Amino acid sequence: MREQASGARAVVALAAVIAILAAGCSSKNGGSSGGSSPAAGGTPSSTTVSTSQCGTKPGVKATGTPIALGGIVTDQPGTSFTDIANMASAYFTCVNNNGGVNGHPVKYYIETEQTNPAQIAADAKQLVQTDHVVGIVGNTSIIECSIDSSYWQHLGYDIIDSGIAPECWSTPSSAAVNMGPRYSSDGAVQYALTQHVSKIVFDQSNVPGTGYIAAGPSALASAAHVPITQLTENVPITDADSVAIKEVDDAGPAGAVVLNFTPPEALVILQAAQKLGLEDRVKLWGCSTPCNTDFLAQSLGPKWDKKLFVNAELTPPDFTSTATMNLYKAIFEQYGKKSVSGGIGSFSQMGFTEAEIAVHALESVTGSYTVASVNAAFRAVANFNTGMLCQLWTYGNYPMHIPNNEDYTVTPENGKMATVQGCTQISSVDPQIAAYRKAAGVASMAPAG
Amino acid sequence: MPSWQDFQPFIVSGLALGGVYALSGVGMVVLYQATGVVYLAFGAVGAMGALIAWSLINAGVPGWVGWLACVAFAGVVTLGYGMVFGPALAKRDPLIKAVATLGLTLVLFGLMDLLWTTSGGESRAITLPTDNSGFMIGQVQVNWTQVLGLGVGVAITVGIGAFLRYTKLGTAMRAMAGDREITATLGVPVRRVEAAAWLGCGVLAGVAGLLLADLVALDATTLTFLVISSLAAALIARLRSITLTFVAAIVVGVVHDLLTPVQSLTNYRDMTPFVLAAVALLVLSRRRVMTSSREEM
Repeated sequence: MREQASGARAVVALAAVIAILAAGCSSKNGGSSGGSSPAAGGTPSSTTVSTSQCGTKPGVKATGTPIALGGIVTDQPGTSFTDIANMASAYFTCVNNNGGVNGHPVKYYIETEQTNPAQIAADAKQLVQTDHVVGIVGNTSIIECSIDSSYWQHLGYDIIDSGIAPECWSTPSSAAVNMGPRYSSDGAVQYALTQHVSKIVFDQSNVPGTGYIAAGPSALASAAHVPITQLTENVPITDADSVAIKEVDDAGPAGAVVLNFTPPEALVILQAAQKLGLEDRVKLWGCSTPCNTDFLAQSLGPKWDKKLFVNAELTPPDFTSTATMNLYKAIFEQYGKKSVSGGIGSFSQMGFTEAEIAVHALESVTGSYTVASVNAAFRAVANFNTGMLCQLWTYGNYPMHIPNNEDYTVTPENGKMATVQGCTQISSVDPQIAAYRKAAGVASMAPAG
Repeated sequence: MPSWQDFQPFIVSGLALGGVYALSGVGMVVLYQATGVVYLAFGAVGAMGALIAWSLINAGVPGWVGWLACVAFAGVVTLGYGMVFGPALAKRDPLIKAVATLGLTLVLFGLMDLLWTTSGGESRAITLPTDNSGFMIGQVQVNWTQVLGLGVGVAITVGIGAFLRYTKLGTAMRAMAGDREITATLGVPVRRVEAAAWLGCGVLAGVAGLLLADLVALDATTLTFLVISSLAAALIARLRSITLTFVAAIVVGVVHDLLTPVQSLTNYRDMTPFVLAAVALLVLSRRRVMTSSREEM
């Protein structure tokens, strides 16, 4: 009897341990998207670019008073955006080693967070009050925009970031270089609609903000009179076979399945579909930007070539040789290789682009580098050719910012992502895009040329 | 409500997952019976083994060498843990023993995050030769990896059942489940029997890790915490019966997947192991209370 009671105690205690494990499991992010991928622009060039081009005085180290900039990035098991800030840091190092910004080196502070609101708020205060940063560049976080946007606005900071949360696009003090999950999903759905599919099944991670993201694809499908089914999946996905079957059954043979997940989650769904022979049971598969990685193209294999169509927000680097793209690759090789684990790709391109815009803005400051002067310079950036985006990039004095609203579509090809559709504007059928274009006017649609 | 035909593919996928959950659950029950330890690192060990296999295969090593490396890694790490920490924890409360294995889980989890980073959006996959072929049952496509998942689960359950019943080592393990001290005084080499249980459990963790990396995902977090479904099955069997563990694991897998096409419940299907385990524990404890009351009368 005593043994039985002891066993029962053990079972109950173990149930408690399982609950703790489950809590740990469910805390794993789920953030979908946030990634971006490449675009065009820049001057065509077939020559190798030296990193000395990132400053005005090649080979001369900047010795002036440092300009302090900071960024906050998510870094937790399963979701890390440190590559973005690390690539921005690599760019700043390159600038510092080649004359700096008007002779001043950039000192870049990176704070990491684990999707903890209190921690994120503290990170922002740390940057402002302890590190005395005069500008925020390279923020990439699942919820940072939601937590800090009013804080930044109150203090007069205008952020240059890679967005994920809705507030990264819908507030006056944040301008992203990427489109983020909503507009990238718009792009993927828009491409599917151009292929005359009869139905869209849009599936994404079951995380906060799904309603905001889903609204874009819904509007596009509705305007095209194509039915759309919205699905959400708990992440991490533990039953990819079931998910793939459900999506294909819902879409039907003339329909399209469009995914908005992080690369590992998208991969398990696509691989499950392949193992079950489902890849040809729908007309096409689509995916928002996070799928735009060579990792995915290599893992999937040739069955998905021209079957999976992925939205790409930045210039595809594999088949592009422009001066900017070559500079980006050269900086990565010399300064970023050790810290940017994902290598050449969307995340490091975003870091490069954000740092590039920031340096361009800082160069225009004539007096001292203060919060007021630096953020005024950020806000004044207009029609800047980043060489990485379809469009010229403008911050501007608008109530919302979607400066990147034109993109590519790519498909796997021999283990890499190849372009199948060049720069295409995201439709104004999405009410947020329409609102931005109305606010920004022609600046919202200036092609990079 | 979906039709019967709509449910059919989900039965197949549920059986395959249930089979692997069974394999894991049975391994944990056998180890618990022999050592009193609920091995919470089961998933993490298998996950790291699978990631090692992925690295080796990507480096050009033949697939079978990678698979063997996965199983060998899981076996050696588990045996090592059992030999180093097992004796020190032998007389401690079961909860302390379980939490100690949680320590190993966290160490392995941290190592995996460090060595197989995901900061650049990396995604990895292991594919088995059985993925590329299959057959149809009615309108339902079945691939050989799914058959393998269920088949290995059945084979391990039957094999371990026979091993425990008909071999000397198995009999010693069953005796230790009753009373470790008395078994030792009868001359059974307790340390050696425990070592065999640790090694066997580790090998099963490696096999399960490999199969789940293919059937589910090659992702450290996913594989580490997938052990929850197997633990739920083991708890339903009250960490005693491998047959009941097998049945519970299959039920967990099938019910979970059958909920997928049901629109109103699909987002709650991950609760399946917890709900089933909670219901089973409530029913079992109620039955025990009623039995005790009858005895007192």
